[in-house]
Amino acid sequence: MTAALTWARLSYRQQRWELILAAIGVGIVAAVMLFFANELRGLQAAGPDCVGLFDYPPSCEAIATRFAETSDTAQRLLLLSFAAPFGMGVILGAPLVAREIEGGTVQLAWTLGRSRVGWLLRRITFVALVTVALLAVLALSSELLAAALAPDRSLGEDFLWSGRRGWLIVARGVGALGVGILVGAVVGRVLPAILGAALIMALGFTAISMGQDAVLRNEVEPQRVAMGNASGGVDPGALVIDFGLELPGGEVVTWQEAQERGLIAAVIDEEGRQFASAADMRAGRVLGYDIQLTIPGSQYLPVAAREAGVVTGLGLVALVGTALVVSRRRPA
Amino acid sequence: MIVPALEHLGYVPQSPALYDGLSVEDHLDFAVQLRPGFDRSAARTRLDQLGIPRGTGARSLSGGQQAQVALALALGTRAPILLLDEPLASLDPLARREFLHVLADAVRADGATALLSSHIVTDVEQFCDRLVVLGVGRVLLHERVTAALQRHHITPGAVNGAVSTFAAADGAPNSLVVGVGQRPATLEEVVLGYLAAGRVAPKVAA
Repeated sequence: MTAALTWARLSYRQQRWELILAAIGVGIVAAVMLFFANELRGLQAAGPDCVGLFDYPPSCEAIATRFAETSDTAQRLLLLSFAAPFGMGVILGAPLVAREIEGGTVQLAWTLGRSRVGWLLRRITFVALVTVALLAVLALSSELLAAALAPDRSLGEDFLWSGRRGWLIVARGVGALGVGILVGAVVGRVLPAILGAALIMALGFTAISMGQDAVLRNEVEPQRVAMGNASGGVDPGALVIDFGLELPGGEVVTWQEAQERGLIAAVIDEEGRQFASAADMRAGRVLGYDIQLTIPGSQYLPVAAREAGVVTGLGLVALVGTALVVSRRRPA
Repeated sequence: MIVPALEHLGYVPQSPALYDGLSVEDHLDFAVQLRPGFDRSAARTRLDQLGIPRGTGARSLSGGQQAQVALALALGTRAPILLLDEPLASLDPLARREFLHVLADAVRADGATALLSSHIVTDVEQFCDRLVVLGVGRVLLHERVTAALQRHHITPGAVNGAVSTFAAADGAPNSLVVGVGQRPATLEEVVLGYLAAGRVAPKVAA
């Protein structure tokens, strides 16, 4: 217990301002999210038939308008929960080892201790726990806000605001923290480490998104889109990966592939059937059916869990990399 | 292997970087956590004897006090070998003297070996048993301080067979010779002579 307190005290005093900034930031955002969630739930309770519908009775005008306005602001808050894990990875992760190298305190720590890796693990623990705790607060409050924003949807089976709510935020935070610490250990100076970590995280997130997109393309399920249906007849919780055509023979092609084959649709009917021209439509020569290539909403949890596993694993790999850097690095 | 070697080493850097925001006592706690067997009570006693307040933020101490804290941390490891990398460079004469007294007392009491790197030759003469002169990446001289003083003499002007000829404080050439000369060399002149020899003829080992 004494040992844990000593390391917590050291870690806190080394990164006091970043930790306070992160805690205040998360506290404010979470509080505002809960406030908006409460507001939205109140509006929903005041007029259960007035929210979440395209058509509502005239008596609902005031409540529906208020709900829509509150929703607009609340949805912007969810952008903060998207950015938070990366921001925390940068401001808490990058300076963690970099400040010790820059300030020369690693000389003291590394010569007193028998194992640099042991020092690193103890040095990281407090900041990692704080990061996870703060992001868990944000994950919970963002999930509650999302549930209030979309009361008619089951968010456990819905890709709506994926990555901006729920436990994926915590996993991304662990990954970002690991990358930030690694960059700090390599660079060895706080400001360049912060800038470098921000850049690497932006590139890394783009790469992971592209990788995930490539993987999901192999798992898509085509869903026909019917224009006469308000929701298009598709699963509203699905993740849309691409759009395309289902050819009369059953083959599914994306719009890009269709264009490459010269299959240019010009007319579409209410059932989502595509025709090359009005004459073809009159003649009943169907080019194909309008489709969306989607991951069904029921796959939300497995897909989110897979991404969480990848980014958490990335964070752990980054920590192993940090251990190697720290083991071999000259202290100054 | 680095790790087994570290267990036998205590280290004091040239500019001891203590943790900002941590008190001296916190540093002792930190050392206890990092180094099993760290002798906290001995370190406390040493700091108390020097009048260094243990509750004070370590970075608010004077340079001499910070050096003493770094020394107390290194001595607290009870390592048989202490490496001191120019710890005196930024200290005033009084702080330097106190530092060396503490070091000498501790080394005598613990039976440890201290390897002190310093450019201040008078300190070396007063506190060290052996002298190692390093230059151009090599050991130019390694012997007991008393032997070095007995063996070397100074002769004015350039002398054949001298270790080297170098400018004295007044600018006149002096030669450091092994054996008979006009007068015994000071330790500073011994060091100057071997450093000059290293520069003039880097291939010739003394």
